[in-house]
Amino acid sequence: MNDLEVEVIKNEKIIKDFFIIEFSLSKPIGAFEPGQFVMIKIPDKSVFLRRPFTIYDVNGNSLFIMYKIKGAGTRLLSKAFKGVKTQILGPLGKGFNLNIPDSCKPVVIAGGIGIAGVHLLIKKLKNIPDIFYGCADEMELRLIDDIKSKTFYTATMDGSYGFKGDVITLFEKHFKNYKKPIHVFACGPLAMYKSFKEKIPPSIHCEVLLEERMACGLGLCFSCVTKTADEKEPYKRVCKEGPVFDIWQILL
Amino acid sequence: MADLTVSLLGKVLKNPVMNASGTMGYGVEIEPLWNIVKMGAYVTKGLSLKPHHGNPPPRVSEEKCGMINSIGLHNIGIEAFFNIYMPFFKKKNLPVIINFFGFSEDEYVECAKYIKPHSLILALEANLSCPNIKAGGISFGKEPESVYRLIKKIKSVTEIPVIAKLTPEVTDIVSIAIAAYEAGADGLTLINTLPAIHMDTENRNVYIRGGLSGPLLKPIALKAIRDCSEKIPIPIIGVGGITDWEDCVAFFLAGAKAVQVGTATFVDPYAIPKIIEGLRNYMDRKGYSSINNIIRK
Repeated sequence: MNDLEVEVIKNEKIIKDFFIIEFSLSKPIGAFEPGQFVMIKIPDKSVFLRRPFTIYDVNGNSLFIMYKIKGAGTRLLSKAFKGVKTQILGPLGKGFNLNIPDSCKPVVIAGGIGIAGVHLLIKKLKNIPDIFYGCADEMELRLIDDIKSKTFYTATMDGSYGFKGDVITLFEKHFKNYKKPIHVFACGPLAMYKSFKEKIPPSIHCEVLLEERMACGLGLCFSCVTKTADEKEPYKRVCKEGPVFDIWQILL
Repeated sequence: MADLTVSLLGKVLKNPVMNASGTMGYGVEIEPLWNIVKMGAYVTKGLSLKPHHGNPPPRVSEEKCGMINSIGLHNIGIEAFFNIYMPFFKKKNLPVIINFFGFSEDEYVECAKYIKPHSLILALEANLSCPNIKAGGISFGKEPESVYRLIKKIKSVTEIPVIAKLTPEVTDIVSIAIAAYEAGADGLTLINTLPAIHMDTENRNVYIRGGLSGPLLKPIALKAIRDCSEKIPIPIIGVGGITDWEDCVAFFLAGAKAVQVGTATFVDPYAIPKIIEGLRNYMDRKGYSSINNIIRK
């Protein structure tokens, strides 16, 4: 873990409010797991705290983050031009479990900007996963342009491409067809996780990446907690014990 | 090179900089970035007799020059702290201030009793901003009488120096500080977060009700320290909005004998080591041999 000086190389709009920003790192970020995140100092004095973003990709000394404008922090980040310098702390948290048994079929479910959380996982998994991707419309499929998989299921809310509806409804139609055990990795809005827990039996392994407002990202402040089934210590830090959790352990 | 050592409550600290309670987890979390022994002392997260789960999220909001937290005193309890984390500080040989609280006078007293004197325990820091359930939820730190009674009781059960950490949300903080002093407090920590709310303008409701911290607090803390230090002879640990070494110097000039750095660590996790280094450079540049040269007499 390091607090690295970085410089914006490129900050490109993909579509709508979705961007990919590339930073050049002052030194290598070191070993990390897919699903881990960084705390970015937004290069604008009006933003006080850093903001957490999952590592989208790393290539040599370049770090890529895919983000969607959600509030003041991301809006200002989207205006950071080439050459702007800032600080990035990371890698942070606990990522996805890559060591799933060979007998298990990996399945990735992502919703909208949630693809940013599993992009690197898809690249690093030993066995190529089946991918279920849901988004608002056909245009948002641009977010998965560079993802390759033989088995791709897509859902759009407006029906402009693929299955019309949400991605969990689509997954529900397919998961019973798997002949061998599956291991699901998911990233998306809370509504997607809630729907998963309602529609899918607890016998299906599923790791999810959670998003929460943070102050430190390091486990110092206990701001970013999520409620779990652990009665002794129900509130777990998303930044430290997560951001990846077993879906059956979290209470949504 | 300038000497940063400071004597505080009968012990000598390698420098006067510590973390503020609740801003450095249980201490171990900062290890991947820098060695915690760089600080003069570690201040624990607020501990209580029994574990507390704390508040449901959201627990944090950002303000223009600070933040509001509503962690709700989430902690593993005093016993678990001593079992799990105290060995870490013993191994590091780092002095510790135990911050603690209760929801009744008895809980404070029982917690203080539980903590046995140890060469590394510098003091017990009583968080007086906690609501007194028996008094309808008003915090202990709001009235001189309740502060006096509580500190007196705590002092009667422990040999360890007791520090009263005061809330700034009072009519006259000097009268509260005098009450703590007269009850036997060995030191004061000034100030705790300032009660505040954040409005959610989209959903048109209160997003969070909690304690405001960050640079906004600095001038308020400085005034409290200045006013109290003029009336009370016990050492004051200054806290509230310190971001850099210059802020620290301002706190020493106002009357603080040591400082705590909190929210700044969230913005820059290296804030504390940078502050210590900055203080040293300032003293070297000014030709001060000891930190006592800048601490207000």
